[in-house]
Parts: sequence; structure tokens; C-alpha cells
Amino acid sequence: MESLQIPPVDLRLLTPLLIVVGWAGALLLIDVFFVPDGRKKITGYLAIAGLAVAGLAGIPLWNLSGSTFSGMLVLDRYSLALTWIFLIAGALSIAVALDYLPRHAIEQGEYYPLIMFAVGGMILMAQSADLITLFLGIELLSITLYILTGFAYPRVASEEAGMKYLVLGAFAAGFFVYGIALIFGATGATSLAGIAAYLGRQPFAPQEETLFLAGASLVLIGFSFKIALVPFHMWTPDVYEGSPTPVAAFMSVGTKGAALAALLRVTLALEEAQTFWLPILAVLAAATMILGNLGALGQSNLKRMLAYSSIGHAGYILLGIMVAAERGAEAFLFYILAYTLTNLGAFGVLIALEQRGEAAWSIDDFAGLYQRRPLLAVAMALFMFSLAGVPPTAGFMGKFFIFTAAYAGGLGWLVLIGVLTSAIAAYYYLRVVVKMFMQEPVREVRPELTRGLNTEILIAGVATLILGLLPTPIVLLVERSLVALGG
Amino acid sequence: METLPILSLILWLPTLGALGLLLAPRDNAELARRMALIVALLTFVVSLALPFGYRATPGDASTMRFVENLPWLPMFGASYSLGVDGVSLWLVLLTTFLLPIVILSTWDSVHTQVRNFQILMLLLATAMIGVFISLDLLLFYIFWEFTLIPMTLLIGIWGGSNRIYAARKFFLYTFSGSVLMLVAIIGLYVLHRDALAIGQPGYTGTFNFTTILANLRGGALQLDATIERLLFGAFFLAFAIKVPLWPFHTWLPDAHVEAPTAGSVILAGVLLKLGSYGLIRFNLTLFPEASRWAAPAIAILAVIGIIYGAIVAFAQSDMKKLVAYSSVSHMGFIVLGIFALNHEGVSGAILQSINHGLSTGALFLIVGVLYERRHTREMAEYGGIWKVMPVYGGITLLVTLSSAGLPGLNGFIGEYTIMQGAFLAPELSWPFLGFAVLGVVLAAVYLLRMYQTVFMGDLRNPENQDLNDLNPRELTTLAALCLPIIALGLYPAFAFEPMQASVGEVLTGIATAVAGR
Amino acid sequence: MLGSFAPILILFLIAVFIAVFVITVSSLLGPRRSSPRKLAPYESGMEPIGPAIRRIPVKFYVVAMLFIVFDIEVVFFYPYALVFRQLAVPGLIAIGVFFLVLVVGFVYEWRKGALTWE
Repeated sequence: MESLQIPPVDLRLLTPLLIVVGWAGALLLIDVFFVPDGRKKITGYLAIAGLAVAGLAGIPLWNLSGSTFSGMLVLDRYSLALTWIFLIAGALSIAVALDYLPRHAIEQGEYYPLIMFAVGGMILMAQSADLITLFLGIELLSITLYILTGFAYPRVASEEAGMKYLVLGAFAAGFFVYGIALIFGATGATSLAGIAAYLGRQPFAPQEETLFLAGASLVLIGFSFKIALVPFHMWTPDVYEGSPTPVAAFMSVGTKGAALAALLRVTLALEEAQTFWLPILAVLAAATMILGNLGALGQSNLKRMLAYSSIGHAGYILLGIMVAAERGAEAFLFYILAYTLTNLGAFGVLIALEQRGEAAWSIDDFAGLYQRRPLLAVAMALFMFSLAGVPPTAGFMGKFFIFTAAYAGGLGWLVLIGVLTSAIAAYYYLRVVVKMFMQEPVREVRPELTRGLNTEILIAGVATLILGLLPTPIVLLVERSLVALGG
Repeated sequence: METLPILSLILWLPTLGALGLLLAPRDNAELARRMALIVALLTFVVSLALPFGYRATPGDASTMRFVENLPWLPMFGASYSLGVDGVSLWLVLLTTFLLPIVILSTWDSVHTQVRNFQILMLLLATAMIGVFISLDLLLFYIFWEFTLIPMTLLIGIWGGSNRIYAARKFFLYTFSGSVLMLVAIIGLYVLHRDALAIGQPGYTGTFNFTTILANLRGGALQLDATIERLLFGAFFLAFAIKVPLWPFHTWLPDAHVEAPTAGSVILAGVLLKLGSYGLIRFNLTLFPEASRWAAPAIAILAVIGIIYGAIVAFAQSDMKKLVAYSSVSHMGFIVLGIFALNHEGVSGAILQSINHGLSTGALFLIVGVLYERRHTREMAEYGGIWKVMPVYGGITLLVTLSSAGLPGLNGFIGEYTIMQGAFLAPELSWPFLGFAVLGVVLAAVYLLRMYQTVFMGDLRNPENQDLNDLNPRELTTLAALCLPIIALGLYPAFAFEPMQASVGEVLTGIATAVAGR
Repeated sequence: MLGSFAPILILFLIAVFIAVFVITVSSLLGPRRSSPRKLAPYESGMEPIGPAIRRIPVKFYVVAMLFIVFDIEVVFFYPYALVFRQLAVPGLIAIGVFFLVLVVGFVYEWRKGALTWE
């Protein structure tokens, strides 16, 4: 009998991922054994510590690159930069939840390990160079999110959100796997490098081409569901509205960011097929920018508005992905960072205003906020202006980078749609500012600002401003992080 | 001059003041006003160094002075570059001059959240100065857009009854206008980069205005006629909305009427000038061919604006609305002067920008004075005010006449030069001159009618019996404005002289465009 | 490459055809005389009692899910047992990690009380 060889595995390359997942597993047990009910915050702090350790462990990897698990997982600066962004997103989402959960009487220690598992899934997606590991990452992320969306368990809206997300997510996963199977059938490979190499050997048989195109389309549909691209976005407002606000915040930046990051890698791998791939992306991007922003116009529920706004932003990010080979990837990374911080900040303010036992996030609750909590209102205004893309904020810089890259990449018409829709978007973001600063309070809302929330809003606010005024160091970092990606 | 970054000082002093105010106690209105006033005066004093340090040497390739250049986003070639030339010099000075006056006026017109008002006003000052002195397109755009936030809040928080509508309209109008400009800036950057990358591979491009202009004129970057017109159009739309040119003016009356007095003054005095400045600096300079192409059409819009603004102003019974519509008319003059595309027209437009800032700013203050006393701006409520407020009446007469263009005062010089320019422009000539003259006549009609209704006649309304004349503070602000109004009217050469070289510089492209035809 | 799957496809089509054919033909040819009794759900000739779908206590689901965990464990252990010697120490480590993950889940369930029936 021939001897079987397990291919050599370089676990160093996966340090942050292993720390996050391992810590999450350990934390699950620590929480059950040692942390008494009512003091679950301890678990939260431990989770943040774990994410921080993972982030620190990533620093020595900056000059390292390579692949392991037979090339299924890679470490490069691109994945490392994304890892850090995801870790920040995870830590901030935990920070806002520390007091949210007990206030809404849904405190359970599992929340924190679950977020960590989700972050692990995101890192896995950022590191995968193979459709199979990509799918693993998506599933690890999605399954934890199915639980998290339904986390406010006795509330019907939350259960409904969880169910809806589960059903649609399962569909998306089905599309994705079927797409992988078809691509494998056509090209004989699931690794991105293998697919790219196969596409490089054109021309191939027409039947295989059909098979490949069908597979790629299905994979794209799977992605579109996860990213919430129009027309696969319908679930987003309902799910965001129903799920606990910290989870919605995490989803709006996390799932989207990770799926978009993976899509960028896939797009780069499919460069040979771009005559097929790019027009579809272009249509998706245009539809997403237009319908996402139009959808947000009519919302008087701020959570739904932010849901639609996050759809719209995915459209802008898609522009960066389409021109990833040129400077789009840099713009993409910067935008993801800017958007993550800004959006988490905006959700943080929303959380501060959310009253126990109420499911309303009416924009009227923001009326006169400036008179009651001037700093909170100023922070929210900053986030709104950043989301709208008004200088000098991170959001403007992100839009500027994306638009410049897209314009240089020959996507002038999409840039035009982009700026026009951001003019539309300005309307609904401004409405929040108008409410806060220029109108009298409609009803009594007592904002509850706790330490975790304060820290989160402060970090997000300061970062939004700094990224807007002096983006140079970050852009340099981002630029270096793409050396290895190569294009 | 190389040692002291004087432009940065002028630019960031107000912001520093705003940051200092953040530390001041929230409820101490008096302290906030004083701190803001000191900062504003300091800024003005520093900015006085500009005209004295400014030496325009004819024949010099660039007329930019006090240039500062620091890398900011090196990977995109965007830099922190500042500089003033004859076009922006007086506009910067106008801003720093109006700022202390506006802040002084808040003692009488702003009574709630005084500290925050000052903070926003100082931030707005930084943004406006930044627009005038940025030599980097990206930096310019950032300052340009940032003016929106403080101004919107100023209107929306301290404005009148319909303030929210006005604030929202102001923001959305100007924001929509300028997003297209962003595309144009990006487009220009990419075109420039790609054009030069042929000669030097790996060129990162630049947003530097001077460099792009030099390459445009030197032929290193050649724009296709359609592309040039599209870029021109995108820039033009942003500026036309800001100016505002008819038919993009509808946000202006709302914003003016609802804004608090200090806000109106800064809005009319400086913010509108951002538009006319942009037209000269970017549209005329960067796209001479397209400017020639579009000039007649734009001049027609300008003339419509002049007449329309005047007629609508005549129909107003609310003084503030009247002044607001008179702005539409006066800004029409400025656009007409700019698109006369000759030396006279452009210098006249620059001077008229200053004049309009001074006299319309003063008019808004004057309306504010009455409003603070009687809380109404209806002309019918007044009459015979001269009898109780003689000093006030005298100053108002001077300002009104200046705005109407009486020879000897500043308004006349500006309008005369613009009309001269329009007459000399081959495409415009007689008919445009005729309409412009009609505009001047109409201006005299509606302004003097306002003056007559409010100040002349008998003191019919008993409520006006015991109105107090100007208090020392009001007198200071108005007198300070009257000073340059008279000075510019008597000795305009002082203002024209530094402009000459720069206006010539702006028009070199236009001249070759003419010769090329 | 796809050609090798053709027999399966043909078989599949034949199966579908036979099923459809038989049902169609019997519904076309067969006499149809319905009565209330015939339309009632079939319960061995007895009167139907209660709703067709009964509620099952959620505990069964929990047990079912626990079962899946061990099921998968066994599914992986069997093939591993076959190549136990060839994989040697690396294999032992790999299966150890796999087992550890399951143990974490199991311990968690146990502490959460998922294993107590009441």
C-alpha cells in the first residue's frame, strides 16, 4: 500500500485566524464554566482581548507571504490588512454590545464567541485562494450570523429576521456551491490560480465555456446575496431592522466587507474572462447604486435607512473591485476601512438612542438631539456627512479614491452614476442632520451612553476625521499592502 | 516672505479660534463673542500684509504670490499648495474684512447658542479663504464642499421660521451642483496624468492647478473639444449654482430670507463670490475654447438674471427679499462681465464682486438693524424713519446709492467697467449693453423706492415713534463698511492695479483661442 | 469530459418518463368515482383522529442535532481507521484537532443542559 502524505502545513501564515477561532472556542467553555450570569461582560472583554492579541500577532507577518494547505489559503498583505479591518469591526461591535445586551435583557455569553467565530470566517474568506475554502469561510460567517440575527430571541422581529436570513442565506449558499461545481466541471480546478491558468489557455470547447459561464454566474449570484447587491438585496432592510442593532452594525460592515474582499480576489482571478464578468458587475453596480440610494429616500426608520445606505455603498465599492487591477484595489481597501468606521459609528449612535423594549428607530427620535446631547449629535452629523461623502471626512476620501480609480479605468459612466446617486444620498443623510440640529424634540428619548459605546463612537469619530484630513499614512499602508497582490 | 507662511496663518487662524472656543464655557455668550472678534480682527490684521506684500511684476510667468507647497497625498500628486494672485487677493481681503464685522453684528442679532454660532462662523471663514487660495484642485474641492456644512447649520439653526426648508434647499442645490465638478476634477486629473505618462512612464499625475495649466497651455495636455466642453460644463454648473445665475438662483432668496443677519451678510458678501471666483479661476483659465463657445449663451442667462432679479426685487414688500433678489441681479452683472472675456469685463467683475460684498452685506446689516427693533421687515410697517434715526438714515442712503451704482461710489466703477467690457466684446456689444443699462436703471428704481418707503415721508406708524438710533456697535460695523465703499469709488485704481497682470494671465488662453479661429 | 455522465442522464430521463407515464395513463384510464370516505386521509380504515401534523416536543430536535454531531464524527473516524498507519503522527494530530473541536461543542452542550431530558 502506498504511503499517504498529508501536505505540509505552515500554520504561521494563519496565526490571526487560529488565534481568533481557538480563542472563540476556549471562550465558549470559559463562559459556560467560569463566568456567572449577569457578569457576562467579562466574556466580552476577554473576546476583545482575543481580537487584540490576534491583531498584534499579525504584525510580524507583514513581511511574510506565502500559501499553505496546498495553496488553498494564502497570506499576503492584502489579506492581512483586511484581517485588521475585520478585527477592528469585530472589536467595535463587541464594545457596543457590552451594555446593549443587558439593557435589552438578551444578555448571553455566547454573543461574544459567536462574533469571534464570524470574524474568523471573515478572515478565512480574506485569506482563501480557493473556492472551497472561500465557501467554508462564508458558511462559518453566515451560520454564526443566522444565530446572531435571531439573538433577541423573544422578540418576534428578531426571530423573523433570523429565519429570513437563514432561508435566503441557505439559498445563496446553494447557488454558490452549485456554481463551484460547474466551474470545477468546466476547468477542473477550484483554486483561483488553477481557474486563472485554465482561462489563460483559451480557446476552450464551447460546451465547457457554457458550463463555466453558468458556474461563474451562479457564484456571482451567491456573492450578490451576501453583499446585498441589487436585485438580491431584498432581505437586507428586514434583517437589519429585526436583528439586534449591534449585530446589524456588524453585518453591515462585516459580511459585506468580507464578501467584497473575496469578490475582488475572484475578479482578479477571472481577468481572462473579463469581457463576460465586468459588464455584469457594471450592471450590478449601477443598479445597486441607484436603487439602494433611492430606497433609502423614503425611509423614516433610521435602521432601515442605514440598511439601504449600506446597499448603496456596496455599489460604490464594486466600482473599486471592477478596476482592481489598476489602483482600484487600494481605493477598495481604503473605502472599506472608511466605511467600516463610519458605519459602525452611526450604528453606535443608533444604539445609544435605542430604548429598551421598543422596536422603533424613528428618525423623529433624533429631533433636537443636539440640544440634549450636543456631542452625540455632532458625532452623528460627522458620520452622516462621511456617509454622504462631504469633505473633510473619511467618506469623501474613500469616494474620491474609488471614483478616481474607476474613471482612470474607463468607467466614466459609472462614476457619473456614482456622483449623481451620492447627490441623492445627501438628501436622506442631511435629513438626519436637520432633525438633530434644527428641530425640537418630538418625544422624550433618553440616550444611554455607556463606556463601551462612548469609546466606540469616539474611536469611529476621530478616525473618520483623521482619514478625511490626513489620509496619507493610511493610503501608504494600503498601497504597500497591495504589493503582493500583483494584479 | 519665504520664512513666514502667511497664507497658512490667515487660513488656519479662524479654525484655531474655533478650536479655542470649543474649550470656552458653553453659556458664556459674551466671552465667546469677544474671543471670536479678537480672532477675526487678528486674521484681518495679518491679511493686511497681503496687498502690501503683493508686487505684481508684469511679464512674470505666474502672478501667484506667497506660494506655499507641501506634499499631502503624494501618491495622487495632491498637495497642500496655496497662493494668491490679483484675482483672489481682494476676495481674501474681503473675507477677512467682513468676518469681524459679521461677528460684531452678532451682539445684536444672535442670542441663542452664541458660542456655537461663532465656532461655525470661524470654520466657514477658513473654508472660504481656503477656496480662494487653494492652488490644488483637490484641496480646492474640499474647502468648496466644506463651506456647505457650517453655512447649512447657520441657516438651519439660527434662521427664521422657514429655516429648515431653506437650509435643506441650500445644501442640496449646491451639493448636487458640485458633485459633477468632482467628476470634472477627476477627469482633468486622469487626462493630464495619461497625457504626460506617455512621456514619463509611472507619472503619478498632479492636482496642482499651476502645473496643469502650464501643460494645457504648453500643449503637453490637449483636450478634445467635446471633452473640454463637458469639463467646462461640469465646472460651470457648480459655479453657476453658487453665483447664482438665473435659472439656478431659486435657493438664494430662501436662504437669504431665512438666514440670520450675520449669515446673510456672509452669504451675500463672500459665499456667492466663490462662484464668480471659480468661473474666472477655472472656467476661463483652464477652458478658453469652451469659454468662447459658451460665452454668448451664458451672457444671455446673465442678462436675464439682471432683468429678472430687478423686476422681482421691485415686486417685494419684504426688505430682505428685496435685497436678496437684488443680489440675483447684481451677480448677473458679474457673470456678464466675466463672459465678456476681455480685460475690462473680468477686472470689472472682480471689482464688482468686492463691491457687491460690501454694499449688499451692508444692506443686510441695515435690514437687520430695523428687524432687531421691530421684528418685521415689511416696508409698509415703516415710513419716516429718518426722523427718528437720522444717522441710520444717512448711512443707509450712502449704501443704497452705492448699490444702485451712483458715480463716486464703488458700485458705479464696477458696473461701468463691466458694461464697458460687454460693449467691447464682439459677441455681446450693443444689445447686452442696453440690457445692462436697463438693469442699472431698474436697480435705482427698486432701491430708491425702498429707501423712500422706509425713510421718507411722515412717521405714520406709532410703533416707530421711539426707535433708537444706531448704537455704537452698529455704527462701527456700518461705518467700517462705508469706508471702502467711498474709498473704492474715489480711487479704484488702487484695487485695479494689482489685478492687471493676473487678469491678463487669465485671459492669455482666451486671446490665443480668438487668434486661433 | 461530460460525455461520461451521459448514461446517468439517460437513466434519469427513463426513470422520469416511466413515472410520469404510469401516473398519466392510470389517471386517464382509471374510473373516478369519489365519495367522502374515499377522500378522507387513509388511517387503516379507522375514523381520522386529530390533525395530520402533530407537534413534536423540541427536545427531540435537540437530540437529533446532537446525534448529527456524533454521526459526523463516526463518518470521519471510519475512513481514518483504514489509513491510520499510513498517516502516522500527522494524521493523529489532525484527527485530534478534529476531535477536540467536537469535544468543545459536546462539553458546551453538556454544561448548557442540553443533555438533561427534563
